[in-house]
Amino acid sequence: MEETALEVEAMSKTYRERGRQEVRAVDNVSFKVKQQEVVGLLGPNGAGKTTIIKCILGLMQPDAGEIRVFGQDVTKHYPRVLENMSAVLEGSRNLYWRLTAWENVLFFAGLSGISSRDTHDYFNYLIELFSLEDKKNVEVRKLSQGMKQKASIVCALARRTPLVFLDEPTLGLDVETSLELRQILKQLAQQEHRTIVVSSHNMDVIQDICQRVIILSGGRIMVDDHVDHLIKLFETRAYRIALDGHPSSELEEALAARFSSINMAAQKYGVEIKINLSDRDDIYLLMDMLRSHGAIIDEISHEDIDLERVFLEVVRRERDEYASGHSI
Amino acid sequence: MNMRLGTLFRTVFRRELTMMTRYAVNTVSSLVSIYILFVLIFLGMQRLSSTMAGEFLNDTLEGTIIGFFVWTFTIFAYSDLSWSLTGEAQAGTLEQLYLSPFGFRRVCACTVISTFLLNLIPHTVFLVAMMATTGHWLRLDVVSLLPLMAITVMGAYGFGFALGGLALVYKRIQALFQIVQFIFLACLVVPTRIPWVRFLPLSMGNSLIYDVMVQEKRLWELPPMSVLTALGVGAVYLAIGLIVFSRCECVAKQRGLLGHY
Repeated sequence: MEETALEVEAMSKTYRERGRQEVRAVDNVSFKVKQQEVVGLLGPNGAGKTTIIKCILGLMQPDAGEIRVFGQDVTKHYPRVLENMSAVLEGSRNLYWRLTAWENVLFFAGLSGISSRDTHDYFNYLIELFSLEDKKNVEVRKLSQGMKQKASIVCALARRTPLVFLDEPTLGLDVETSLELRQILKQLAQQEHRTIVVSSHNMDVIQDICQRVIILSGGRIMVDDHVDHLIKLFETRAYRIALDGHPSSELEEALAARFSSINMAAQKYGVEIKINLSDRDDIYLLMDMLRSHGAIIDEISHEDIDLERVFLEVVRRERDEYASGHSI
Repeated sequence: MNMRLGTLFRTVFRRELTMMTRYAVNTVSSLVSIYILFVLIFLGMQRLSSTMAGEFLNDTLEGTIIGFFVWTFTIFAYSDLSWSLTGEAQAGTLEQLYLSPFGFRRVCACTVISTFLLNLIPHTVFLVAMMATTGHWLRLDVVSLLPLMAITVMGAYGFGFALGGLALVYKRIQALFQIVQFIFLACLVVPTRIPWVRFLPLSMGNSLIYDVMVQEKRLWELPPMSVLTALGVGAVYLAIGLIVFSRCECVAKQRGLLGHY
């Protein structure tokens, strides 16, 4: 049986400030992370990702719920439970800018009682893995944003904790550096056998690094599934239909009224329809509607889908449900 | 655990030492500006003494040297603590310190002890410079002075913790930091003959340091009641500071303010 590294049960957190409206940042969230699993917390800004991580780390106090790390209740065993957790929070704002990258690594490892004498080789391995060997004796303030971010991650990993949180690890990085960092993290996840929780609003980061994704919106969990499974599931429901010629305006209106996710775009040959069907039987309904309005189907295919489409679809559905719930 | 605690202390001490050397210009310029202020006061006192008896200058000068030394040392200790708490929150490293399995309080204790020890070096140079400028050489009995300095500075650390805690919640309270510096100055100027003055922070400790440096008494020759009073007063202010800090820390954790500034 695979053991659980992290267990969050019915966690809620509301921000209250005098003179301001209450903000429910996390709403009854529960999930488990198995040992050596790499899990992504995906959601737009304000979805509750950072709040969840900070509550787990004991940097914030949740209003309700229980958190266990390797079976230990975080509240009861704080701060000893931190021997099992480390984190990179808000990227480069985790380092002393007047210390060198190497001095930062020694300092943050030392905060966990880890002496450089015991783990000198491991620190050097991390520095090399993140391509920082040429810059390890340079003050952090003189490093580029990407280098700072890498140094932050090295400092968190140097603590050698079995559970690592990476909060928005690619935030503020250019495309090239972000891609490089993602590749290193992917390699690291495979080599280190640690449990890693990555939060990001960047789908590519999650799709690249994580096995499982928890999609959050408005402080609630929308989806908790394996990335591959989720993409496959949406792939089977995502269709691309090419119509020969332009459909009548009546057909356009009827389709828009029936399928909220439909997207029609004019092409040289006619019209391209992209649609995500929430029900498997909807494909027959769609075909019937097209036939009854005399539309000529040129081609039907499954659409290639990525996590971004999955995420947008999940958030769209959540909004639709919320709107329909409020319109009644 | 003890060995690992030793690693924690070495780690924090090394950071403080490195930071001190990286910010050496800042430390030296602060001490030089205070030294210039001292020289100006000394010149003023010399001018004043030409119209008064010579003994007046000697007594006041010795008190001024010691007062200045204690004041600058406590200001450095207090501001090191309160500014470092706000500075760490600003830089984003405060949350990382909270992630130490030793707990933030132990990390803080290591920081306080490290800065206390490291501050002794430039301040001793400053003290020697003051004595050389005035030509008044006071006794430097390290065995007696070190514990008295620690006792005296305890109250200042209490203020440092309290203000650091308030800064975690209210963020911009720099003006309050400066007001406290003048409160410390007042505590050192008021004579301890007045009974209630003994319960002010720094006052009693400063008076005992005067006895060691001017009256040439050893620590064990000082009135035990006075030493105990200084220790008790320091401990009470430190405890109050820690309680305020603890309360503010709770509020900051509830509102999610630890990483904000």
